[in-house]
Amino acid sequence: MSVIEVTNLTKYYGKSRGIVDVSFKEEEGEIFGFIGPNGAGKSTTIRLLLSLIHPTSGSAKVFGKDVVTHGPEIRRDIGYLPSEVFYYEGMKVIDLLKYSASFYGKDCTERLHELSEYMELELNRRISDLSYGNKKKVGIVQGLLHSPKLLFLDEPTAGLDPLMQRKFFDLIRKENDRGVTVFFSSHILGEVQRLCTRVGIIREGKIAEISDIRTLQQNNYKKVNVTAAGLNPATFDLPGVTNVQTENGTLHFFFKGDINAVLQKISAIQVADVTIEEPTLEEIFMHYYE
Amino acid sequence: MNIFLRELKANLKSLLIWSAIIILLIFMAGAKYSAFAGDPELLKMLDSMPPALLDALSMRAFNLTTISGFYGVMFIYFALMAAIAAAMWGSDSISKEERDKTVEFSLVLPVSRSRVVTAKGLAALVNCIVFVLITWVVSLVAVQSYNPDQAFYSFLALEMQGMFVIELIFLAIGLLLGCAMKQYKRSGSTAIAIILTAYFLSIVVSMQANLDFLKYFTPFKYFDASQLLSSGKMDVTYLLLSAVIIVVCVVAAYWLYNKRDLYI
Repeated sequence: MSVIEVTNLTKYYGKSRGIVDVSFKEEEGEIFGFIGPNGAGKSTTIRLLLSLIHPTSGSAKVFGKDVVTHGPEIRRDIGYLPSEVFYYEGMKVIDLLKYSASFYGKDCTERLHELSEYMELELNRRISDLSYGNKKKVGIVQGLLHSPKLLFLDEPTAGLDPLMQRKFFDLIRKENDRGVTVFFSSHILGEVQRLCTRVGIIREGKIAEISDIRTLQQNNYKKVNVTAAGLNPATFDLPGVTNVQTENGTLHFFFKGDINAVLQKISAIQVADVTIEEPTLEEIFMHYYE
Repeated sequence: MNIFLRELKANLKSLLIWSAIIILLIFMAGAKYSAFAGDPELLKMLDSMPPALLDALSMRAFNLTTISGFYGVMFIYFALMAAIAAAMWGSDSISKEERDKTVEFSLVLPVSRSRVVTAKGLAALVNCIVFVLITWVVSLVAVQSYNPDQAFYSFLALEMQGMFVIELIFLAIGLLLGCAMKQYKRSGSTAIAIILTAYFLSIVVSMQANLDFLKYFTPFKYFDASQLLSSGKMDVTYLLLSAVIIVVCVVAAYWLYNKRDLYI
């Protein structure tokens, strides 16, 4: 069963574009990555699915129910971690979490403490005294404490230190193992690659591509930088090499294909420095729009 | 129930501040009245003032040297305070969630927007009830030393009922503004603008007899203290009109809040 089913969803804020004609499906148990630069429409899509805003046209279903008409019912089984979390400032963390739990009609106490302990959250502090990262931790516990079946994560790692990020990813994986479906929005390709099985790429409000993460990586360019004395751009005259540029004795180019071909060329010369890196998201987008 | 209780707690500070202001106003008024009480010289002086000015301050209809008359003049100020407080409670309880960006938490909980409006509206209503009761009780305490007669007590009761209906009207208007306006920053100031317009309209109506028809546009005229004092009861037409305004505003508030995008 498709947990999320979005059909020709369009949202305009007055005249300015939110998203245009977005369609995709997410199956049960999947971790779906939703990537795109800032302002591409990632948050708009999530807010439409949470019925915080209403579509201009098109429709969206979650758990097979229309998001506009069945909002409260759908949200009972949804956990949401926004990119920036805001809670009632005057409340204590524990009171806020209990308040949140009180809406789900089940006892979440045990899980609340389990999660807080895991995320190293101090329950007796006031929300207003928390740092950005600590507020995010409250968000994680609050989003998960009622054991939702579907998780929306909107740029979830911002503000978390690397150690916490890892703990968080482990937590999400564990949830996913229990059958929780995850919708993961991010502009950081690396974290999407670590976690997701399938990705949708959104740019300027439109879906540019939906594919398997492996296919995306295989089809991808690598960015190669070689520094060596007396470099000649002709050295790397291989099929798959594009965008060759020389700058201060360093040669930059994009490569797509079997990386061994490039490595052989490199090993044939005396190099001072070599880097081969993943292209940035922007560079992938450029590829999609060439 | 959980939203309602949280809201009551969040509103408590504002209720305390407004109550402190009205208590201060009542005691200051009481102190002023002690200078007027039973002073025939004052009446002579008032007679020499231009009638239009007295109308504007609604002082002509009352005998300022009696406690009932004095409270009649004060009523518009109580009503004004009550209106502002009620409208702020109504609009703020909805719009503050958008101002503080907490909608992304509170409306992702499994609750309908209607349920949120109901809980918040009821919490604001509790504030209004407490506010009018405080005004009533403190007034009773403040006038004790002047030994008011039975007529004053019934007049005060009538005034407080009028004040309560005015609160309800402006609570409904405030709720509507909070629910309808995406520009949350403006809902509070719009509410104040409406109240002040209504207030000045009520002054204009008292001064200009040929603009009498305008009285239907200002709730402050629905419960005119001089009318209440002379007739001893509330006008049914105005009560019905109030009920219509309240119902229309509340229904529109629910409808618009369910329909619109939340500002995030």
